[in-house]
Amino acid sequence: MERITDTGDLIQGTLEMLVLKALLRGPLHGYGVAEWIEQTSQQVLKVEEGALYPALHRMELRGLLKARWGASENNRRAKFYELTAEGQKRLGAESHRWARLSSAVAFVMQAS
Amino acid sequence: MGQNLHEFALRIKALFLKRRMDHDMADELEFHQAMLKEKLMRQGLARADAHAEVRRRFGRPDRWHERLRELWQFRRLENLARDLSFSVRVLRKSPGFTIVAILTLALGVGANTTIFSVINGLLLRPLPVPASHQLVVIGTNDNSLRVNYSLSEPMFRGLERKRQVFSDVFAFNHSRLQIKRAGGTENVQGQIVSGNFFSALQTPPLLGRTLTPSDDVKGGNPAGFGVVITEGFWQRWFNRAPDVIGQKLEIDDTLFTVVGVMPKRFIGADPLDRPEMFIPLSTELVIHGTTRSLTAAGFHAWWLTVMARMKPEATVEQANADVAATSSTILHEMIPDADWVANREKLHFQFTAESGSTGFTYIRQYFSKPLLAVFAMCGGVLLLACLNLASLLMARGAARQKELATRLAMGAGRGRLVQQLLVESVLISVTGTIVGLASAPLVSQSLTRLLLSGQSQTHVDTALDPRVFAFAALVAIAASLLIGLIPALRATSSSLNEQMKHGQHTTLARGRQGILPHIMMSAEVALALILVVGAGLLASTVVRLYRSGTGFDPRGVVNLAFSMDQQPLKADALTQFYRHVGEGLSHQPGVKSVSFAFIIPFGHFQWDENASIPGGKEYDIYENSIAPAYFETMRIPLLDGRDFRWTDAGSSGLKIILNQTAARLLAPDRNPIGQTVIKHQGKKTVQYEVVGVVGDAKYESVRSPAPATAYLPMTQQDEDETGSYSAVVRTDGAAAPLVGAAHALAAQMLPELPMPEMTSMEEMVRDSMSAERMMAMLSIFFAFCALVVTAIGLYGTLAYATARRTSEIGIRMALGARRIQVARMVFLENATVAITGTVAGLVAALLASRALASFLYGISTRDPWVLAGSIITLAMIASAASLLPAIRAAGIQPMDAIRCE
Repeated sequence: MERITDTGDLIQGTLEMLVLKALLRGPLHGYGVAEWIEQTSQQVLKVEEGALYPALHRMELRGLLKARWGASENNRRAKFYELTAEGQKRLGAESHRWARLSSAVAFVMQAS
Repeated sequence: MGQNLHEFALRIKALFLKRRMDHDMADELEFHQAMLKEKLMRQGLARADAHAEVRRRFGRPDRWHERLRELWQFRRLENLARDLSFSVRVLRKSPGFTIVAILTLALGVGANTTIFSVINGLLLRPLPVPASHQLVVIGTNDNSLRVNYSLSEPMFRGLERKRQVFSDVFAFNHSRLQIKRAGGTENVQGQIVSGNFFSALQTPPLLGRTLTPSDDVKGGNPAGFGVVITEGFWQRWFNRAPDVIGQKLEIDDTLFTVVGVMPKRFIGADPLDRPEMFIPLSTELVIHGTTRSLTAAGFHAWWLTVMARMKPEATVEQANADVAATSSTILHEMIPDADWVANREKLHFQFTAESGSTGFTYIRQYFSKPLLAVFAMCGGVLLLACLNLASLLMARGAARQKELATRLAMGAGRGRLVQQLLVESVLISVTGTIVGLASAPLVSQSLTRLLLSGQSQTHVDTALDPRVFAFAALVAIAASLLIGLIPALRATSSSLNEQMKHGQHTTLARGRQGILPHIMMSAEVALALILVVGAGLLASTVVRLYRSGTGFDPRGVVNLAFSMDQQPLKADALTQFYRHVGEGLSHQPGVKSVSFAFIIPFGHFQWDENASIPGGKEYDIYENSIAPAYFETMRIPLLDGRDFRWTDAGSSGLKIILNQTAARLLAPDRNPIGQTVIKHQGKKTVQYEVVGVVGDAKYESVRSPAPATAYLPMTQQDEDETGSYSAVVRTDGAAAPLVGAAHALAAQMLPELPMPEMTSMEEMVRDSMSAERMMAMLSIFFAFCALVVTAIGLYGTLAYATARRTSEIGIRMALGARRIQVARMVFLENATVAITGTVAGLVAALLASRALASFLYGISTRDPWVLAGSIITLAMIASAASLLPAIRAAGIQPMDAIRCE
């Protein structure tokens, strides 16, 4: 299992991309984002709260996300994040970059 | 950019909704924890275990808050706010230091702003007309190297016709105009202006039209002589009547028609003049009559200020080259006297043009140099104030080393500490600047009053315009950096970490502090010495000027100037009139004696002619026309012969009285009484008999020695002279009622004569030294401030340093040092600073005082008394400032001092 912490630029940039991706299907609260990443990665990627929340707030400040308070599925008050137009654009750019980067890394690793 | 804006808006929101933000963050985390706990319990953990696991994963909640909150903050801004409130607290904790700091700086900034605003008003501010940079002033120059800014009417007309690079060439001169009103006349300040004056200055009239070249022709506009009045005069005289255009005004017995009204902001081309009306140049001949007219005097009378507006593409250099090139042509065309022209050409006569964007005023020639000298002194005071504050802050920084070192050790960045210390000095300098600026207008008004006390008609606009504010801001910024940066950098330098280890028992502390504080304090002492020496020299100049005497006794003498210009009395009738007024005045209470004089000493008029005795050399002799008893009234000693009498009429032979210098010059080898003095007037030769010799009396100014002077009796004046004499009255009673009395007496014979104008002879003497007096007063003030500031600095730095050595001194005493030894040790610390500063200051003062040489009178720049006196004054002040900390150090109780560690 990989833990995503808030150290290192590559990982942090990756975390932001994952958060954007998690929110693509609709608004989620912070816990939901973490859960979705964990489940979708089949428990490989585990997002630490200490990295998640600063990232969420930073992205909100930068206008990639917007937040509103609403009721959760079990009827608690929760902060829901959703993508802005800016955020969707960023997600597109990031996934493109990620695709290039990972295939490049794969090439390198497969070289004999 | 949009993103930054979005971020900025959110941060601002966070700044204001801080409490809600905190609340929301807590809620968000709590929700996450609750969800996590539920999940763990679903996975089978016990409630307590789940709780512990969540606690373990999240850690301390306050650290979370801190991290998230930091994201939302304006970090710099909030740090700054925190520094600011901290600085305010620190400064309020030591009110003495704060008040001294603010006041010294307010003094420095205030004085500089004041002097700058006067310089601005006098020298820098452009005329309030469109595109003032296109204006030039035209002068003439020959071998004498000094440009002369007065031109004769024919020269001006020649220039006006040529133009070339100019769109307009215009001339003007101030003139006192008499306006007839019901029951008398009133004197009004006016200007005589040429036809293109208004078109060159490009200011549209409020009502009617301006004067044009068609008004400035011989005989005036066919519709009559035109006059343009100002808004102020319109208000005062016509009560803003809308039908003022076309109204008649009787100016100097000539009928003028009001053709236009100029708005208030229009002041003409002399920035210090506030004329109330403008009349065409061509009418000067009419109002003054051929005998008095300067126009009629042609190329002999140099009286017009000539300026021009350049075409937009032209430069001042082009204009200068242009007028220089036409000089010869204009001379030949306009001046009928071929000999005179040839003579001028031999001297390389040339017209010159220089920038006239600030207009032209004669006052500048007299005051620009003294003002710049005062400005330099002012800068010295400011520098001194800054050095002083920097030294004090440095000493205080040293006293705060423990606090700062602790903060450094706790992880505060050096930058943050420097910022905090800078905030403190900026706070001081901003407050000081504001206090200084607030007091500047008041001070500059009184300064200009002092400066221009002799010129009642001048107005220096010292208003705080953007230029003054920019200057003050610049001064404030420079001051804060100077004050704050050095001490802040020093106080936080890394080696100081060790200070904390040493605590207070740092015997090496002073040594380690280095030489910089010593240099700064020495520089301060040196600056103070320079200022004190300057003040001493200037003050002795004024004293010497007073003591040099005028040759007469001005105390208790008043002058009453009659303007007889438009009166019908001539020759004998005029003499009778003055005799009658004099008789009447001599019976007024307190009046001791009364006489009359054509020219009042220091009254800015001069009359000189060449004279000789038969067979002797010709000399330039100053002259004056006076009534009997003039010497008695002025207390000028009659050395030989007799005074004039009312019966000395021309018929019994022309009489003359010489002063000592003139007598020695004209008749060096014989008794002057009874000699004949010859003057050539045109082709005539006039002979005078010397009837008396009197003591020398100064004529033009207190600075220049009494010239060779000849006095003529008013009883033998020429038929066509105007006869505007001043009554010279010696009285020990009140002077004010004399004006009314003189007017009443005069009205018996001349009912329409305007009120005579009164000046006191003492004022005339004082005003003739106004530049020297201003410099002396200001320099004494600055020197006094410098001494006070230096004393505070010497005391303050020593007091801080001694306070830091308390335990060391305690140990010394415990080891047997006597109190007197301790006191001497502390005292000597400042003595070295004072001595270095004095030596440096003395050298600098000797060099700098050369710049003052041209302002001094009767004293050398190396006057030993002034130098010695300055050093003694400074030494005494420095000793007094050092004694207090020394005494305090001697009073330290060894046990207390050591215990407090």
